[in-house]
Parts: sequence; structure tokens; C-alpha cells
Amino acid sequence: MLFNSIEFLIFFPIVTLLFYLMPQKWRWLLLLAASCFFYMWFIPKYIFILLITILIDYSSGILIEKWKDDISKKKAYLVVSIVSTCMVLFIFKYLNFCSANLVALAQHFGWSHPQKILNIALPIGLSFHTFQSLSYVIEVYRGNQKAERHFGYYALYVMFYPQLVTGPIERPQNLLRQLHEHKELNYDNIANGLRLILFGLFLKMVVADNLAVYVDKIYENPFDYSSGDILLGMLFYSFQIYGDFFGYSTIALGCALAMGYSLMDNFKTPYLSGSVQEFWRRWHISLSTWFRDYLYIPLGGNRVAVPRWALNTLIVFTVCGIWHGANWTFMIWGFAYGVLLILERGLRNIHLFDRIEGKAGRLVINTLNVAKTFVIVTLLWSVFRATSFGNLHDLFTALFHNGAVANQLHVAPVAWISLILFVLVDILIRDSRFDVWCGRQKPLVRWCVYAFLMFAVIALSSVEQIPFIYFQF
Amino acid sequence: MTDTTKHTVKKLLLKLLMVLLVLAALDVIYYYTLYPKDLAENCTLKALSERATEGVDIVYLGESSNHTYSDADTDKRFICEMIDDMLPEHRVGNLAKDACHAGVYYDILRNIPRNSDVKTVIVTVNMRSFTSEWIYSSLEPALRKEQIMMKKAPSLYKRMLLAFRAYPNWTDEEVSNIIRKNFKRQTFTLPHPFPYRNAYEWDQGVGGSYTLYNGKQPSMDTIAMACHYIKEFACTFDDNNPRIKDLDNIVKLCRKRGWQPVFNILAENVDQMDSLCGPDLLWLLERNAQYIIDRYESQGVIVVNNLKEVRDSDFRDRDFPTEHYKQTGRLAIARNVAEAISGKSHAGR
Repeated sequence: MLFNSIEFLIFFPIVTLLFYLMPQKWRWLLLLAASCFFYMWFIPKYIFILLITILIDYSSGILIEKWKDDISKKKAYLVVSIVSTCMVLFIFKYLNFCSANLVALAQHFGWSHPQKILNIALPIGLSFHTFQSLSYVIEVYRGNQKAERHFGYYALYVMFYPQLVTGPIERPQNLLRQLHEHKELNYDNIANGLRLILFGLFLKMVVADNLAVYVDKIYENPFDYSSGDILLGMLFYSFQIYGDFFGYSTIALGCALAMGYSLMDNFKTPYLSGSVQEFWRRWHISLSTWFRDYLYIPLGGNRVAVPRWALNTLIVFTVCGIWHGANWTFMIWGFAYGVLLILERGLRNIHLFDRIEGKAGRLVINTLNVAKTFVIVTLLWSVFRATSFGNLHDLFTALFHNGAVANQLHVAPVAWISLILFVLVDILIRDSRFDVWCGRQKPLVRWCVYAFLMFAVIALSSVEQIPFIYFQF
Repeated sequence: MTDTTKHTVKKLLLKLLMVLLVLAALDVIYYYTLYPKDLAENCTLKALSERATEGVDIVYLGESSNHTYSDADTDKRFICEMIDDMLPEHRVGNLAKDACHAGVYYDILRNIPRNSDVKTVIVTVNMRSFTSEWIYSSLEPALRKEQIMMKKAPSLYKRMLLAFRAYPNWTDEEVSNIIRKNFKRQTFTLPHPFPYRNAYEWDQGVGGSYTLYNGKQPSMDTIAMACHYIKEFACTFDDNNPRIKDLDNIVKLCRKRGWQPVFNILAENVDQMDSLCGPDLLWLLERNAQYIIDRYESQGVIVVNNLKEVRDSDFRDRDFPTEHYKQTGRLAIARNVAEAISGKSHAGR
């Protein structure tokens, strides 16, 4: 079920109302049933894939805890759990990609290799709930989390509907613990939750979807557009993907908060980052911290020699790229971030602007850093957005050769206005959150904001069906 | 319930009321600002039903068959224009749009102003529009959007239904699944033993064996064309068909508004159908046309049966079964409709 659908507008209040009417001991059942219903709205049969992952990691958690004093057995169960969970991910997400590349490689060397293509669709949100499930097993292995004995609660931890499809990727210490807690009806939670949902819908339906129309045109036929149009398309995509994903995460946070559950923030004004490193501390936080905790640190993190650290960084970001999708463009996108982080570290001792002093001077430097980071991120988003290397090549060829072509992209005022508003709001709520910021305003201001957002979501949103970008992952 | 809970519930209800008041105010703002633009962009039919009914006493509801012509035609008039010329004492308004069907016609008719002079309503009955391939076609979402905007409801509410996609949003995969399921479910019975029970089996039988009903094994294109005919026509209409329900609603509405309904059953390329699929598919098609005639003539509807009125050479498209006619085809249909109206309708009396 999509958050921006009429079905969800009916589903959400019913589930929330039933949640508060139901005794605590049955709430897990209600939420689990609701989550199954929510997930099965897409492709019902894929619930079984989810069930397999849940069963594997639920049993593994118990077995790992049971053999906590026997390191080898404990480790064996962990490995079995990780391999089998990742195998499901591999089959559905990467098998066809690997097969196609093997065929290409075989053809290159003149070998015969029949291509086996599985005619299967990627279950929605598979990468997200796989990672969430893995984080549980790893935390149990590390002794940071007790194994969950109640299958219902564990299934709910993986399937909790607000964050089931595109995260935030939660940790058991945060979500599983909360699922056991008794949640009282609380006005602030409901008000803040609804504020977040409204703001999230605005980001997705007004900002992202209105920009998507132009982005799609540019990427589909880059040669039809001028260099200026293409730059604009690239800029728009930066805000489309931000609005789209931030919007989804915000709605997810709001839905959970309305029932008293607090999910982790996934974004903290990433486009105001002064460096690539800072960008990754502010963008898709639940994923970047997942990679930090479960891959980067186990590889040695930064407590190793510089060459090893550089290798670790490249590995982590390349895997991060592949996590996003089975396509070379994603891999290159991740790898490029790894290279940039290494470069940033290499250049950090060069202080070109040390002599610039004073508040104004620092402001100029910070602004330049933010601009530099934004340009880098935007350029790399074009690698991320391109459907193939061919598409990326076309985009940049058109960018450098269509300077003389007249501008074709006629952007509607609503797209500009929503974009500018988004940037302003993002700056305004920097280091805070929309619901918190809203709560601090005077009632009149608050209600004006609500009225504007409601009007924008209903009357200014795109009428085209534009799927959430991160659904494909 | 504790006092705190009671207090919270009261507070929430109060806020809900305030939200509703804000929405009511926003509805007024929307109605006078963006609604006209949204109507123009997303609801051409509403404007059409208001504009095209001014000063006319007959309206013609149709789809692309009305206005599609062959480049070689010397007479490129639409069917409705031909009818208009054939009935000089009447004025015929054009309410046709591509891919329309009875469900949309009903909403268009509901939007005809009360003070209009309309007395006769010609409703195109396209036999393909009753089958799954059309009901779940990729053109349907756009029509459903139009239907939403034509609803008699607060303007902001209608826009909200558009914004939150309260219309079908099938992906290509979903569409093929739905159609396949419907093909399998909608069984038909012929008056003699037949190897297939439904369109799915028939399509698979012909498409899988590359063999026509008469044992011939023609080119792939011909087999594909035969399969198209099977998928478009192999079913039996009944009370549960959504288009039959729509036609029922149209009849009720016509009765309520005092209009004479005329159902114009469009011609199909029965020559080609017969040569590719044999007499069985033709039997089903005729049976369905008879079902419509029997059902609606008894309710006072003038049903013009044009099913076999156009010969193969007068169909424009060769790669898909359509109702796109050359000028002689359009003329034949227009003549039959005009004659039926002049002989029997309110307007003619």
C-alpha cells in the first residue's frame, strides 16, 4: 500500500484507532495483521519470502543465544543466518544481474554460456527488511540484544508497517524494545505524528512528484534538451530524490509516532553538509549507520593503517552502491563516494583558507563548502539516476554539446515554488524536526502552516502516478 | 476510560473539527482559484458536456469510431456530423472522446445541464468495450480521472481523490494478471461441443499451435490477429458485466431526465473475424448483440444493430480489431441511426 493513496488514508486511522482500543497484550497481533495487509497490497505472494527471512533469523537468534558460550557454534549460526538471509536477497535482486554479466563475459572470451533469466519481480523493500533482520541477528550475537522468544513480536519487528518498505532500517534495541512497551493514548504523540505525516506527504506529493515530471523528461531524451535544461534536470533530481525519500521516512516516523513508537531520523538537512563525509552522516542515516556498525567497524574501521582504511572505505561504499540496485551505475556511484572520502581525508591537512577569520569569513567558507558538496552530490546523483551507462553517456554528451539548443523545459510555477519552500523549510528546521518546530510556533502560525500544507497536498500535488524511488530497492 | 484519556479524546475531536472547518474554507479558496484550471486539464468531458449540449436536441456519445477516418477518404465527416446532416430538423452535439465507454457516458450525461434542450441521446455500444482487454486498458486511468472530476461533490474533495489516486493505477504486470484471471473466469457456452471454455484457453489453443480453426497455419501476424479477435470478443454478456450495469444506469437516467435513448451497436469486422476464427466467435458476438437488443428494447430504448453493416474493405485498421471505418462505413452507420431516430424518436415526433 502506498502512503500517498486513498487506501492508506482509510487504513491509517482505522489501524491507529483499533490500536488504542485494543488491550496491550493483543496489540502485536493487530499490528502484525495490519502490516501483512499493508505489504500484501502490493504482491500478496511475496509475503512468503518475508516469512522465510523472519523464520531464519528468528530461529538463528534463539540458537545463537543458546550457544552464547560456545563461540564456534554461535559463529556458525550467525554465518548460516547471514548467508541464508543474503541468499534470498541475492536470488531476487542480483541473480539476473550476475547471470547477464556472466553471459557478457563469456561472449567476450568466445565461450558458450546460456543465459538463465528468472522471470521474477523484486519483492518491495527486500533490501530494507533483510538489513533490519540481519541487524537483529548480529546484535544478538554481540550480546547487545536478547533473543526474542515471541515469534509474533519478532515478526512485527521486521514487518512493522510504517517502516517495512523503505525503512528507516531500525535496530532491535530501539524498535523491538518499544514494541513490548505499553503505549497510552497521548495527545502530543498523535499531534506530532499527524504533523509529520502531513509534512511527509507535502515533500513527496508536492515537491518530489512535481519535479519528477521534468526529471523523467530529461533522462528519457537528453538530446532533446539544452545544456541549461539538463543542468536543471540534474538539480531537480537532487531535490526529487531528497523530497521523495525524506517524505517517505517522515510519513513512516509520523505513522509510528501516532501510536507512540519512536523511529530513528533518517535525514538531517543533508544538502547543508560541508563535506562528503558530513553528507553521509546526514543522508539516509539508518543505512549509513548500518554499514558503519556492521561492515565498516568489523573491517577495522579507521583504527588501521591508512591503506587498509582506504580499502575498507572503498569496500563499504561499493557495497552500499550495490545494495541500492543490481546495476553497474549503482556500484560506480558507491565506489565514487569511497574515492571521494579517501580524497577528502588526504586533503584535510591542506588548509587553504586558514587565514580567513571572523564570522563573515567563516560563513563564506562554509557556504563554499556546502556548495562544493552539493555540486558533487548532484553530479553523482546523475550516475544514480541514469538507467545505464549508455543513458549516462547520453546525458553528459548532451550536456556538453547542446549549449546552443534553445531551452525546452518549461517549468510550472508550482514546481519552483515548492522547491524554494522545501529549501527554506529545510534550512529553518536544521538540526530539529518538523513536528518539533511546529510545536514551538504560536497556534495561529501553526494552523496557517497546516492549512497551507493541506491545500498544497490536495490541490498542488501532481496528478501523475510517480512511485517512491526507494521502492525499487 | 481515565480522565486523561477522556481529555485527550475531547481535544482530538476538537482539533478534528477545526481541521474540517479549515478544509471547508480551503474548498472555497480552491473552487475560485485552481479548480477551473484543474477542470480544464483533467476533465475535458465536463466542459464538453456543457458546451456541446448548447442549442442541440440530440447528443452523440461515442469513442474514436466517431472521428477516425482513412487518409484516402474524400468525406472526412464524423459519424455525428453525418447524422446531423441527415436530420436537418435537428441539431446533433458531439460528446465523443477516445476510448470512452458506457461508464463514462453515464457521467457525461449526468453533467448535461438541466436546462438543456436535449431530447435524444445516442449511445455508442462498442462490443469490445464489454471485455477485459478494454475494461482494464491502459487508457482507463485517464478516463477514471475524468469521472472523478465530473462527480457532483465538493471541488477540493474531488481534487483529493485525484491527488491520492482514487482511480485504478495498474502496472503492466497487474493489468496482464487481471486480464488473464478474467479471461479464465468468464466462461462461455456454445450450442455445440467446443474444445475451449474461455478466451484464455482459446487464445492459448490458437496461439500455441499456430493453427486457425480450419487447420490452416498462416503467418505469425495472422495468428496474432486471430488471437486479438478471440481476446476481444470471446465472452458472453450477462447482468454482472460492468458495462451492462452502466447501460442500465444510462437507461434509468434517460427515463429520469425525459430523454429518448438510442443504442448504436457498432459494426465489427465480421468478415475478417469469420475468416480467422470461424463461425463460433461470430455466434458469440451475435448472441451478445441480441442480448443487448432484447434487454434494452423491452425498456423502450431504440437499439440500432449495425454489427454486420460494414464490410472488411471499409475498415481502416489492418493490424488490430477496431471500429475505425472508412467513409462508407461511417456513412452506413450514420444512416441507420438517423433513420431509426427520424422514424421513432421523441425528437422526430
